[in-house]
Amino acid sequence: MRAFSASHSKPSWPGVWQAVVRRQEFGIAVILLALTIILSLQTSTFLTGTNLFNVMRASSWIAIAAFGEAIVIIAGGIDLSVGSVMALAGLVSALTLLAGWGAPSAICAGLAAGVAVGFINGVFVSRGKLPSFIVTLGTLSAARGLAFGLTGGEPVRNLPNSFVHLGQYNLPLGNWEVPLPAIAMLVFAGLTALLLSRTVLGGHIYALGSDETAVWLAGINVERLKITVYTLSGVLAAAGGILMTARLGVAAPTAAVGYELDIIAAAMVGGVSWLGGKGTVWGALLGAMTMQVLRNGLVLLGFPTYWQATAIGVIIIAAIALDRWRSGHS
Amino acid sequence: MRALGTTCLVGLLGLVACGTSTPPARHTQRLTIAWIPKALNNPVFELGRAGALERAAELTAAGPVEVEVLVYGSVAADAAEQARVVEDVIARGVDAIAISCNDPTACLDPINSAVQAGTPVMTWDSDSPDSKRFTYLGVDNYRGGQMAAELLLQAIGPKGQVVLLTGVPGAYNLEQRIQGFTDAMAAYSDIEIVDTVACNDDINLGVQVVEEMMQSRPELDGWFFVGMWPLFAERGSMPLWEAAAREERVRTVAFDTLPVELDYLKDGYLSGLIGQKYWGWGYDSVQIIYDHVLGGKTFPPFTDSGMDIVTAANVDTMIEAWKTNDFSQPLPDPFPTP
Repeated sequence: MRAFSASHSKPSWPGVWQAVVRRQEFGIAVILLALTIILSLQTSTFLTGTNLFNVMRASSWIAIAAFGEAIVIIAGGIDLSVGSVMALAGLVSALTLLAGWGAPSAICAGLAAGVAVGFINGVFVSRGKLPSFIVTLGTLSAARGLAFGLTGGEPVRNLPNSFVHLGQYNLPLGNWEVPLPAIAMLVFAGLTALLLSRTVLGGHIYALGSDETAVWLAGINVERLKITVYTLSGVLAAAGGILMTARLGVAAPTAAVGYELDIIAAAMVGGVSWLGGKGTVWGALLGAMTMQVLRNGLVLLGFPTYWQATAIGVIIIAAIALDRWRSGHS
Repeated sequence: MRALGTTCLVGLLGLVACGTSTPPARHTQRLTIAWIPKALNNPVFELGRAGALERAAELTAAGPVEVEVLVYGSVAADAAEQARVVEDVIARGVDAIAISCNDPTACLDPINSAVQAGTPVMTWDSDSPDSKRFTYLGVDNYRGGQMAAELLLQAIGPKGQVVLLTGVPGAYNLEQRIQGFTDAMAAYSDIEIVDTVACNDDINLGVQVVEEMMQSRPELDGWFFVGMWPLFAERGSMPLWEAAAREERVRTVAFDTLPVELDYLKDGYLSGLIGQKYWGWGYDSVQIIYDHVLGGKTFPPFTDSGMDIVTAANVDTMIEAWKTNDFSQPLPDPFPTP
């Protein structure tokens, strides 16, 4: 179970500090803070509103999908199909838009595609008793193939402005222009965090990842729980994919190829444990933003782009090593 | 924790130290240009990159302005990643952007945002025609597709089954080539375009789909490689296609005239090539931006870079041009009258 501070002792500064440091997300927060400080010192453009909001927007679809991935990993599984679901959901939304549906209905259609794939994942993992790695590897290919089949490989464009606005519009808030995807990311983060920390379902999800037998012995319907978990991952990945499609204004079956690796990395860098039962949505959010800040920072610093992938890989390993080290010493 | 943290910070600072620079004292002004290809993993852009850096060095040496070229891009041809790179480049602050778009619609908002923020943008190789870019430098891809059709017709005659290989579906330049080819072939009722396969600009996938097609359609007469991706793999990577090409059972025309393709042409595997000005993508882009930003020169929406048609008749001249890196001489006639 995740760490929490003792609720009956009088709050004291050392106690509060201990509680903060012990939190899963502390390690990644430190790394993100370090990156922010370094980039603010080294460039005059990092800490500007435009840049920070760009970073938030660019990380928003990966982050939203990472929230769903976090749920699955916390529950003790893994979902490799998220990248393909992002593309499929974006494509389904785009096709329904072109067929004359309004933006809200088209978005529901895209989300339904995510629900469908997630449900299939859940059924095969729970009733079929197949390893989640294999099942979601299969749906990764199947969903991608379906995306190609729906359009013969061609991208879908000429999407109505009402839809494209969701990804491209900046909401004026005071002096700032906040991108809608960034707001969506925070809303989804809040909702998912509430689900995991404040609901019975959330408690069951953590328990499932910690000890599946105990959950079953407690009389909880494990099959239904697993199906719910994978369906949530599917719907969140779909939401991310729809948002990305709106930002680009075009849906392509080739979109989001390989994104599952970034999404899983974001969750794990954010402290979601590979073994299950540990981690939070806020950690996944920090993880997604850290990776994006790193990419952004490398461009701002004029770093040769070839090294970006290497730098990100180093951060991933560093973050996870840090996490292991800390959990070994807590 | 402290040791690990310190090591990380030192490492990051080391990375950071490598990245920044200040202009030398001799120049009073610096012109920073972001040159953004479709992807970093496509060798066809290497020459353009070299050309861009070369022109920047030449202009810096010759004038009062220091011209700096920054090459950014996504590792693979990903439209979302490219949009993000453009946003980051705008945030970083550059004086101009020259970009080859993975998808014309996906580039629309980033390019328009850049222009709105006061950064002029031009496109090269692959355009985003509805955007606010001040010019597009490249070949007339539609005309190129038509020329490819002409070359293939000369090779296989007005009758046969033909397949197209494309890269990322929807990329504007590729779509234009396909359109030109298809429209030209429409006049020949005995030519049947039986399929179009895509490889997402990936060399490995290109090899795979070509071989799969050769396997499933042994009666195929002609190929149009809309880009050269599978030809970047070495000889022996496409045994079915290579055997059919050698035995002249299948004839292929392709876009691009990089040395590896010229060798294929010389050895008889290809019937014709449509070449672009790869060096010019970088070299001329930098010049165009220099003239536009500093000289206020205006350009038409389409700046034709010119196209090369290479056949067995003039392939040697092209090979020579690559050896000397001098592409300024015109090529001999690809269709000499006997």
